[in-house]
Amino acid sequence: MYYFDHSATTPLLPEVSELMDHINKDVYGNPSSIYSIGRESRSIIENARKQIARSISARPEQIFFTSGGTEANNHVFWSLINNSQNHIVSNVIEHPAVTKVLEFLNPLGLEHELVGVNEDGIVSVDDINKAIKPGTSLISLMLANNEIGTLQPVQESVEIAKERDILVHTDAVQCMGKIEIDVSTLRVDFLSLSAHKFYGPKGVGVLYVREPKKLSPLIIGGGQEKNLRAGTENISAIAGMGLAAETSANSLDKKVVALIEFEEQFKSGLNKVFKKAIFNGNQSKKLPGLINVSFPGNRSDIIMTKLDRASIAVSNGSACGSGDIKPSPILSAIGLDDSMNLSTIRFSFGASNTPQQIDYLLTELKSILI
Amino acid sequence: MSGGVDSAVAASILIDEGHDVEAFFMKNWEEESEYCTSEQDYIDALQVCDSLKIPLHSVNFAKEYWDRVFQYFLEEYKNGRTPNPDVLCNNEIKFKEFLNHALELGADKIATGHYVRTDNRDGTIKLLKGLDHSKDQSYFLYGLDQKQISSALFPIGDHIKSDVRKKAEKLGFDNFDKKDSVGICFIGERNIKDFLKQYIPANPGYIITSDGQNIGQHDGLMYYTIGQRKGLGIGGGHSDVDGAWYVIEKNIEHNQLIVGQGHNNPALYHKFLKASKLHWISGNMPENNGLKAKIRYRANDVPCQIKDIDQNNISIEFETPCFGIAPGQSVVFYDGDLCLGGAIIDSYSN
Repeated sequence: MYYFDHSATTPLLPEVSELMDHINKDVYGNPSSIYSIGRESRSIIENARKQIARSISARPEQIFFTSGGTEANNHVFWSLINNSQNHIVSNVIEHPAVTKVLEFLNPLGLEHELVGVNEDGIVSVDDINKAIKPGTSLISLMLANNEIGTLQPVQESVEIAKERDILVHTDAVQCMGKIEIDVSTLRVDFLSLSAHKFYGPKGVGVLYVREPKKLSPLIIGGGQEKNLRAGTENISAIAGMGLAAETSANSLDKKVVALIEFEEQFKSGLNKVFKKAIFNGNQSKKLPGLINVSFPGNRSDIIMTKLDRASIAVSNGSACGSGDIKPSPILSAIGLDDSMNLSTIRFSFGASNTPQQIDYLLTELKSILI
Repeated sequence: MSGGVDSAVAASILIDEGHDVEAFFMKNWEEESEYCTSEQDYIDALQVCDSLKIPLHSVNFAKEYWDRVFQYFLEEYKNGRTPNPDVLCNNEIKFKEFLNHALELGADKIATGHYVRTDNRDGTIKLLKGLDHSKDQSYFLYGLDQKQISSALFPIGDHIKSDVRKKAEKLGFDNFDKKDSVGICFIGERNIKDFLKQYIPANPGYIITSDGQNIGQHDGLMYYTIGQRKGLGIGGGHSDVDGAWYVIEKNIEHNQLIVGQGHNNPALYHKFLKASKLHWISGNMPENNGLKAKIRYRANDVPCQIKDIDQNNISIEFETPCFGIAPGQSVVFYDGDLCLGGAIIDSYSN
């Protein structure tokens, strides 16, 4: 398999896989039990909490384990439905794990405004500022976009939010291991992470909460996670996420250099193979290794099927439940018409890639593109 | 590969015959309800492809379907007619968009799980009813031309449904006992009235008997089909043996639903019809003897004669009057098992 879809998900790190195997085999105590094997489980969870806290410069008590990035986002928004200040400012290029939740919560009394985006793929702080109104309690702005990789002005949004006592949430699931995530400088109130985007297991994520007292529970039950997220913990997944976070944050610079090298190899190669290629979104303010390219005159579903036959995995639009391919709302938002939209492919490189693989990808593209 | 049993077994037959097969899951409709039923279809298709060890690709023609099938569907309903979107879906989507897509990917042929057969006779490809007459789907495919039909394979056309299910079970397909889909694909099991309401404003009016009595209110003419009995919201009637009310006619001009009593009511039976958008599968008009025609999918084939053809318009006389001829539905012509072509019904008379 030639895997160039690391923004969709990533393979497990071997050491993460080993650790999880060991825990699945040998550690079964309920972390809430107070006898020795319960305490053993609990210690594993708390160790993971510390690893994740360190990787984003947070304190361990600000880290809450969830089933993934989607739940982390949901938790923030659902927590606000009984708020007297019930208006949220977000934007059109968020993942459905933000926009669809907001849409769903609208009839329950949570209002929102989605600000637009320019063709750069970067939301303007000015637009966010204009969308704020007296009832605004939260700004939700992703740290980097999942389809085009553009970095969003989260820190600047925090500055305008703080003046008005507004909270800020950022969906950072695309960012771990690609850019530095430092909540002490970002100063956001909530931040969502998902382990499987950085070589950890699926089904586990984290919500960072600056002041946990400001959050209400989403899943109610046995009181785990300080009453904010009940349910017996998935110990091996949590431990796997902890180790994956630590590994991702370690020697980040080296990882970024490798991603940029892949990206440059691919871009310069592509310019020879297909001169009409259009790189979407601001190319200097984006995640390393994530490239969104339109191939005018070609259809992405045809390209994808042909690449699939050559054991190459790439993506168009957001992957979704039923093998669906349709115009991406994010690409529409940055001004691509439907035909350009449906000629667009996302390539996202990662630790499993080699320069030889990228050469192979270019060779295949050369034979496919018309 | 729809996730149903027919296309699954079709793929397996092709593999047994030595073809190099790849499967496609086609999505033509974006769900507006929260529960996504097409995801279960995808899961079923995937299980079949996994057991057959063939790739399952995905294609989305939702935009083309919306523009070319659904808009027509709504337009017909707005005009008080009863359209058949499946006929158009085959012409415009499956055997046009999808066919082109497959050809572009290097396919020689496409195959579907329709219960029909083809036969090359004297250089013309003929479309024949499925061997299992109770499942025959030629009615939906009469709009294909020679190019389309020569690019298509129908591997289960000479099988009967119960054998198809048995074969699926033997092959370990999870969908071997999956319920057959019925009705219009994008409406599924929903109430068609509720569905239409979302797209077309209802225009209620009066229900009038064939002798001019006002006996109630209808919810909008588009909700009713000629020959319909259930759901009129009026009682069974008097002491007649068969006193049930049937829709006899839709008077669009006065927004009146005309009803009459009894299944044998002569007003429900017509000997003549006029139809347009005439299409012959062979490209040529057949001989005008021994013809039969079907005026809706589940109707019997009735002997008929072509009275007049003017370009794409055709007039038909039936040997015996037909029950419930509904404008918007297709009239499809047969010579025995041979499906010759068809047209869309515009009017009926005696």
